[in-house]
Amino acid sequence: MVDLSQNAALSRRHTRRIDSDTLAAWALALPAIIAYLLMILLPLLAVLALAFTDYELGARGFAFVGFDNFAEMLRDRTFAASIRNTFAYALFVVPLSIGIALLLAILIEDGARGRAFFRAALFLPVVSLTVAMATAWQYLLHPTIGPVNTILRDLGLGTPNWLGASEWVLVSLGFIGIWQNVGFNLVLFLAGLTAIPRELYSAAEIDGARSPWARFRLVTWPMLGPTMLFVVIITMTRSIQVFDTVQTLTQGGPNNASEVLLRTIYQEAFHYFRFGYGAAVTLVFLACVLVLTLIQTRLIDRKVHYG
Amino acid sequence: MISTTLSRRKTLALMGGTAAGLYMPAIARAATVEITAHYSMPAIFQEAQEAVLAAFSAKHPDIKVSYVNPTPTYEDGAQLLLRNAAINQMPDVSFQGLNRLRMFAERGIAIDLAPLLAGLGDPAQYGYSKPILGLGFHGGVQCGLPFATSNPISYYNANLFRQAGLDPEAFPKDWDGVIAHAAKIRSMGAGVDGMFFRWPGDDWMFSALLYGHGGRMLTEDESDVAFNGPEGLAALTLLDRFVKEGGMPNYAGTADLQAFAAGQLGMMFRTTAQVRSISNSVGSNFELRTTTLPVIDPVKGRLPTGGAGAMITTTDPAKQEAAFKFVQFATSAEGTTLMVKNTGYVPCNQIAIDDPSYLGSFYAENPLFQAATKQVHLMQPWYAFPGQNSVRVTQVMVDNMARIIEQKATPEQVLADMADEVRRLIPRA
Repeated sequence: MVDLSQNAALSRRHTRRIDSDTLAAWALALPAIIAYLLMILLPLLAVLALAFTDYELGARGFAFVGFDNFAEMLRDRTFAASIRNTFAYALFVVPLSIGIALLLAILIEDGARGRAFFRAALFLPVVSLTVAMATAWQYLLHPTIGPVNTILRDLGLGTPNWLGASEWVLVSLGFIGIWQNVGFNLVLFLAGLTAIPRELYSAAEIDGARSPWARFRLVTWPMLGPTMLFVVIITMTRSIQVFDTVQTLTQGGPNNASEVLLRTIYQEAFHYFRFGYGAAVTLVFLACVLVLTLIQTRLIDRKVHYG
Repeated sequence: MISTTLSRRKTLALMGGTAAGLYMPAIARAATVEITAHYSMPAIFQEAQEAVLAAFSAKHPDIKVSYVNPTPTYEDGAQLLLRNAAINQMPDVSFQGLNRLRMFAERGIAIDLAPLLAGLGDPAQYGYSKPILGLGFHGGVQCGLPFATSNPISYYNANLFRQAGLDPEAFPKDWDGVIAHAAKIRSMGAGVDGMFFRWPGDDWMFSALLYGHGGRMLTEDESDVAFNGPEGLAALTLLDRFVKEGGMPNYAGTADLQAFAAGQLGMMFRTTAQVRSISNSVGSNFELRTTTLPVIDPVKGRLPTGGAGAMITTTDPAKQEAAFKFVQFATSAEGTTLMVKNTGYVPCNQIAIDDPSYLGSFYAENPLFQAATKQVHLMQPWYAFPGQNSVRVTQVMVDNMARIIEQKATPEQVLADMADEVRRLIPRA
């Protein structure tokens, strides 16, 4: 992060006059620029154009329909549920998966033994194939034969229909999301923690920060700022992008109780073949990601201390 | 003079002969027509398709059919065709989900097979009975010919029947009986459930209840919904009773299959297409049996048909002719026999259905597959909605049915909402 900001400042100073360095820089960046244009910018422009048409995959023609697709979204019950669920899911998953990961990272970092084991064990969900894992989750959370409900029944507790009842389905998917994200965030936090110089803790202790909480508040928390910013943005984006677990486990049901934005886009474009409407929903999705990222970088960046 | 003329003639003849001889291979090559074909779900259809192709190639050496990579699901298959339609590189023949054929015809991708069928004379002579042709006939167009069909059947666990004091030899003939059986099996406790009717996914199983009452989805002229009458209400009321009286659980995804295979579910109502995979997953856990779906209206009652149909996309006359020969073979008594033996789907050729020399021994050896064939006379097309929201309509129905399953709305409320929402999605007349 430090290097990046310095580089940005340096390059700004250098672009004022064109020299061989600048040319070399452009030449080196060219492949990336071409890839960006072809793979991201052009498709994005195509989506932008499609969003204002009634194009359907395989149709012989299409017409520009102005803002019709966006007007339809306002009336679309599925889209409304989709927006609501995606944000509820993110609000549930982001704080918990960051909080739990931070707690675990500090415990592992302070722990004397088993550091490598815990790190690997908690990272496993990240490297495992989500679709395969979803099948395992479906069995674990099965309303009658699942181990979770078998235990609950033996304890004399209620046995919710985790993935079938509209009250529970988002919570269940949220837990699976947290399980997936914690390992990833944990590794990032561990890296961030290792980078904090030990002397700072000693210095803080000498200055009167006697309790572990005080040392966390005064040293760890501010020093972890850049990592935290990165983790928050990554987790937020990953949560808004939730798709595979929903698609494999609940297909958005029951009655849209677990419908999420990415699945709506997929359904509209590739199941109903309504490319125009699908593109319009995609634009809304992109706008959400953009706004969230901007708010976070603007708000948090101001408070982040780049050590 | 004479001799020279003769010799000149001879020479000419010789030359002509040689030229013709040299030219022959080219003619033979030109007579070989190459066409491409596409199908989905190789896990189910690969063996059948390869058997059909081998038999066809032996019979028609002048037509070379090659398969493009099969797509994993019907949905992927439909996408492939629609994408390739945009760049005009479609396979000449494609096997698609029966309820998707209409969309391809409406988008000008599938050609009307009626003129080609007319060339055969009387289609019934080739085993294409009216109901069989009807499965590929939508909106006035013969969009395709059915290749593999399925209908909904009952699966049950004979061991659970016996434990609950029920007779596995006497499966209930109507839904009242099923509900009573379900309640009895469920009362054994220990997490055992009585029944599951596979309502999620799409409108297929709902249409089984609707057609069972003699109802229909839209009016004859397709300008308005028709399921919101007494038949539709009766269908949704049955669904409501499955939950209220039969204690039907709300299984998501494939939870029903898991519970059934684990021996924790007494009865299951879903497509016959899964007989093979269900009997594999059950293994020797318990005695699996299948039978026909309980009858609702013995006179007017019908059942929806799932499965795949073959459609032709090529507009080139020579290719069209070759493609039709291939499609005709795949759906002939011989082709359908190969299909049934390799998949367990229901035969789609009247000759193969009527003449036991084709499949008699197969069904004697595989009794689980018999249930579906006993219902062939009840099969009618899985209704394909007209217009651009054809597939979306089915989701609206599923979403509304979920409200009954969760007991959040009455069948009357759900029927009214469903009619309103579907009405908005069908093309206005």
